[in-house]
Amino acid sequence: MVAAGRSHGDTQPGCPHSRLRHSSSLTMVPLLLLLLATAHGFQTVSYTPELAKKFLEGQTTTTTFVLEQPRCAFKFQENDINIRIWLVVAAPEAVSNFNNSLEPGSPERAFQNFLNGTNAYMTLGTTTDHYPCPKNPQDITVLRVGSDTSCAHDKDVPTCNGPLPGPGPYRVKFLAFNGSEPVKETQWSELITLKKATPFGDIPASDGKHSAGMIALTTILSILFAILLAGLVAMMISGGLDSCGSSSFTKPDMVTVQRYNTHHVYDQPAARL
Amino acid sequence: MAKSEDGIQILRGLLVFGNVVIGLCGIALTAECIYFVSKPQDFYPLLEATGNNDIYAAAWIGIFVGFALLALSILGIVAVIKANRTLLQVYIILMLITFAFEMASCITAVAHRDALTPNLFLKQMLERYGTTGTGMTADVTNAWNKLMVKNHCCGVQGPSDWQNYASKFRENHSDADFPWPHHCCVTDAKGSPTNLDACKLGMPGYYYRNGCYDVISEPMNKHAWGVAWFGFAILCWTFCVLLGTMFYWSRIEY
Repeated sequence: MVAAGRSHGDTQPGCPHSRLRHSSSLTMVPLLLLLLATAHGFQTVSYTPELAKKFLEGQTTTTTFVLEQPRCAFKFQENDINIRIWLVVAAPEAVSNFNNSLEPGSPERAFQNFLNGTNAYMTLGTTTDHYPCPKNPQDITVLRVGSDTSCAHDKDVPTCNGPLPGPGPYRVKFLAFNGSEPVKETQWSELITLKKATPFGDIPASDGKHSAGMIALTTILSILFAILLAGLVAMMISGGLDSCGSSSFTKPDMVTVQRYNTHHVYDQPAARL
Repeated sequence: MAKSEDGIQILRGLLVFGNVVIGLCGIALTAECIYFVSKPQDFYPLLEATGNNDIYAAAWIGIFVGFALLALSILGIVAVIKANRTLLQVYIILMLITFAFEMASCITAVAHRDALTPNLFLKQMLERYGTTGTGMTADVTNAWNKLMVKNHCCGVQGPSDWQNYASKFRENHSDADFPWPHHCCVTDAKGSPTNLDACKLGMPGYYYRNGCYDVISEPMNKHAWGVAWFGFAILCWTFCVLLGTMFYWSRIEY
């Protein structure tokens, strides 16, 4: 209010309107917006959407991700029956000049046009009684974004919770509408990046390495076999050379010694006379 | 003379003992290899599909080597007791041939066991699982499904295999409906998933978190150890017996 008063007093003769516009444009517009917002009751709560806290294997897949439900994020009254809470999924560049007034189901917020004409869509619209507060600690309260494949190409369902078209990254927030007016929003989430699939041709089929065990086994067996072959060759050679036999012990057979009687011993006495 | 006679007697006794051990080991090797070959393995189609079922060839060689060792050990005992040079020569040559075959079997078993890396199975699963072809591709799909349901496992390293890599399965099934095959879901008594949404979310208790590689590799490891390293031990013993036999042969006369 003080700033507005100062700018009003800064008029100069000659071109009062332009001077007024230049000096006050920086301060007036956001103030006007703030006035507009507070006049209509639009609030930004401090809750930041995040991925599911509990361990889930499918927390992010290639086309889906799992968010925590915005329990106790908005403090709505019991009688706000016209309130619908929508999830906004946007490409990161859509965040800076996001227009909250575009209604869910409009072509600029249709899932089928996401990344193909528009850079944000709205889905998973629900009434406040689906996010009761306080949350029962036993319950697993998650939202699976991207789970509905039946309406992904159906132009009649612009608020389809269809699979995301790519690995992202994306940013999300929750936006509450009362009828056709936005009333409350959460903060924008951090960047959510989905998984990216590597082509299976990139997997090396084998690293071609042999284990130490195999190398040791092959080496030792080869050496043993070589020694045996050498022994066999030596056997063959020595077997061929000493056909006369150079044994150091005899066969355990009975050795018979024959005694010979020569006949000429008995013939001699006749010659001596 | 008497001393060397004693020495040779001892050698003869040792050789007979050595051959008895070889005979017994031959029987054990045959029995072990028959057990490996005849045990029905769920994942045999996977090995066939990778072209890596030579690990069974090693077991088949082991069966025949076992029989050969038994027969040759009997021949060896006879030859040593009779101290017949010709018989001993025949024995040594035949034993060397058997040694060579058993060596081949051991090296084959270990080399093929080394080739069965997780990446080999992963690549084959991503290429072939889920295709609706006939013949080998259908075999691979059925083998994986039976494997996953029976052993409560999913994929090679885990369900994230289907997220981290593109696959034939992914081409035919959308990621939102099938982040991983429904065979990875915990099923009730009738065989349908207990909670399909929880399975798709990946909630613990509703899907199988572990990979199947351990289930596949454990029998392969046992098989390789049984065939290769037991065979190696037999060969070391056989080496000593053969060296002793060659020495004995050189010390006897015709």
